[in-house]
Amino acid sequence: MKLYDSFRSALQSLVVNKLRSALTMLGVIIGVAAVIAMVSVGNGASQSVQNAILNLGSNLVTVQPQFGNDQGLRGAGAQAQNLTLDDMRSIQDQLGASISAIEAEQGAGRWQVTAAGQNWNTQVTGVTESYPQVRDWALDSGDFFTTSDLNVNAQVAVIGSTTASNLFGDGDAVGQTIQLRQVFGGGKDARARILNFKVVGVFATKGSTFGFSRDDQIIVPITTAQHVLTGQLNRVNAIVVKATSSETMDVTTSDVNSIMLQRHKISDPANADFTVTNQNDTLAALSSVTGTFTLLLGAIGGISLLVGGIGIMNIMLVSVNERTREIGIRKAVGARRGDILVQFLIEAIALTGLGGVLGILLGWGITEVVHRIPQAASLPLLITSGTVIIAVGVSVAIGVVFGLYPAMRAARLHPIQALRYE
Amino acid sequence: MTQGVVELRGITKTYRIGREIVVNALRGVDLDVRPGEFLAVMGPSGSGKSTLMNILGCLDVPDGGTYFLAGENVGKLSDDKLAGLRNKHLGFVFQTFNLLPRLNAIENVELPLVYGGDRHARRQRALGALEQVGLGDRVHHRPSELSGGQQQRVAIARALLNDPSLILADEPTGNLDSRSSAEILSIFQRLNDMGKTVVMVTHEPDVAAHCKRIVRMRDGVVARDEVVVKPRRAEDELAVGIGAAE
Repeated sequence: MKLYDSFRSALQSLVVNKLRSALTMLGVIIGVAAVIAMVSVGNGASQSVQNAILNLGSNLVTVQPQFGNDQGLRGAGAQAQNLTLDDMRSIQDQLGASISAIEAEQGAGRWQVTAAGQNWNTQVTGVTESYPQVRDWALDSGDFFTTSDLNVNAQVAVIGSTTASNLFGDGDAVGQTIQLRQVFGGGKDARARILNFKVVGVFATKGSTFGFSRDDQIIVPITTAQHVLTGQLNRVNAIVVKATSSETMDVTTSDVNSIMLQRHKISDPANADFTVTNQNDTLAALSSVTGTFTLLLGAIGGISLLVGGIGIMNIMLVSVNERTREIGIRKAVGARRGDILVQFLIEAIALTGLGGVLGILLGWGITEVVHRIPQAASLPLLITSGTVIIAVGVSVAIGVVFGLYPAMRAARLHPIQALRYE
Repeated sequence: MTQGVVELRGITKTYRIGREIVVNALRGVDLDVRPGEFLAVMGPSGSGKSTLMNILGCLDVPDGGTYFLAGENVGKLSDDKLAGLRNKHLGFVFQTFNLLPRLNAIENVELPLVYGGDRHARRQRALGALEQVGLGDRVHHRPSELSGGQQQRVAIARALLNDPSLILADEPTGNLDSRSSAEILSIFQRLNDMGKTVVMVTHEPDVAAHCKRIVRMRDGVVARDEVVVKPRRAEDELAVGIGAAE
């Protein structure tokens, strides 16, 4: 029997039992749609996590202080040294062109800010001159401060777009003066420090990372932060190195590590008073988490697909039973076992295959609807071609698996008994 | 000696019903059918004629004895080999017509060629077969839209399609009124005149009288094998019938 005839005959019998075919298919449709929708939510979540990380800048190697062990005293660190601006300059000098950019940061806490009669409370951070390059963060207007600003502890600031609009509304912030205020003590003895900073630039809008808006902050020269705002003269919170590419990150990481070990005169890397984190590692760790999440969602969808498959088997058994006589007639005129087997198998596959295609459409529809829910709008929902191929493949495979037993029963029927069947 | 279409020697068949009861349906049947014969198999129920038909039709295999169909030893072939044999050498006509309700007349007739033969000549040959039984104008009707006599004619067209060595008819007129029966018998007689070999099971002596030879079964053996001296012609009866009706 030619495959063409098998297909024709299978489709014919599906069309004859329209309602039954539709209801049977519904199981597969829902299953496939569930898999598609669930996996796309999972993929979307992992994509959004990845975006959040890359939002901080790409190919970053970060050095942060860690209190080492000193003769069994954890975190005591009698010899523990701070990270310093000199550490950063040393890495910069030694690695030179083999890295893309480098910067150091010192957090200066939250400050009350006033300007043009408006006031606002926000985070202030001291950084070095290459901050925009390292963080892939361009300026909307004005210019970033330079090494000469750092050298003279200039009281200049580059502010985020949210901060700018909160303080200056639609007006131009560049060239304006802002006042950072900090209140000491309380009651009668309260004294306030008021520091004037000149706004030299406004960052382009960046969005938020893990719920923290990157657009609401004030960036000042790190030397200014150290000398004027915090008084912690010889300390930076982090040194951030931007590798030239994702491939060179591992080399850069080990280079930075050995420079730091040498500078801090630490022989055993286990006792290092700093940690070097590679953004690739962070991404890998997070994608393994989101991967598990996606797998779990897919498995939930898979269960409904399995239930749909059992529905297929059930209806195929009914169909074989109902058509016993037809099978007898076909056998009498010369159908071999294989012909009958293929006929019923194709019928099952046609059911699940068509169900799979409709399920993909439904799943796609669901993700489109989810997209329109405001709370989920920021979640990128990804239907990848891989998901679609797997969904169709699995539904066809379900047709084969769950159609095989009924088809085998049909093929094994004895022609005489089948012909006599009422 | 010319080769027979059917050569049965000492065929036995035993059925077991449940654990205890053993039915010896056939106890040594010898039968030869030569090309161009029109044979009726008669006998009371339980005589083994249905079992004989099943074995002749390669729907079942005998327990003992040998069966040559058109020179091929049927012996104990596999299911698939038997299916091939049925497709190539046999045409079936059943009492209950056994057409596929979902297919129209021509699709039903085409069925044997679906399982053997090439696809391209299919429609043409099916059309030819339907015209041969006088249903050239009912090609696209479904079985439910046809009368019993017409359905049986579709079944005969289906049986003719592969140009079989043997047409097996199992009570082909059992579900038909006498006029339709006469029409079916006249078709068989016409086919036989053209050289087709037909074996027909019936329990009606009137129907058997249209055949050239009658084999009577009793208790699993051939009890009598006689030649009909002057078979009745169904065409004559139809002419008379129409005359009487007018």
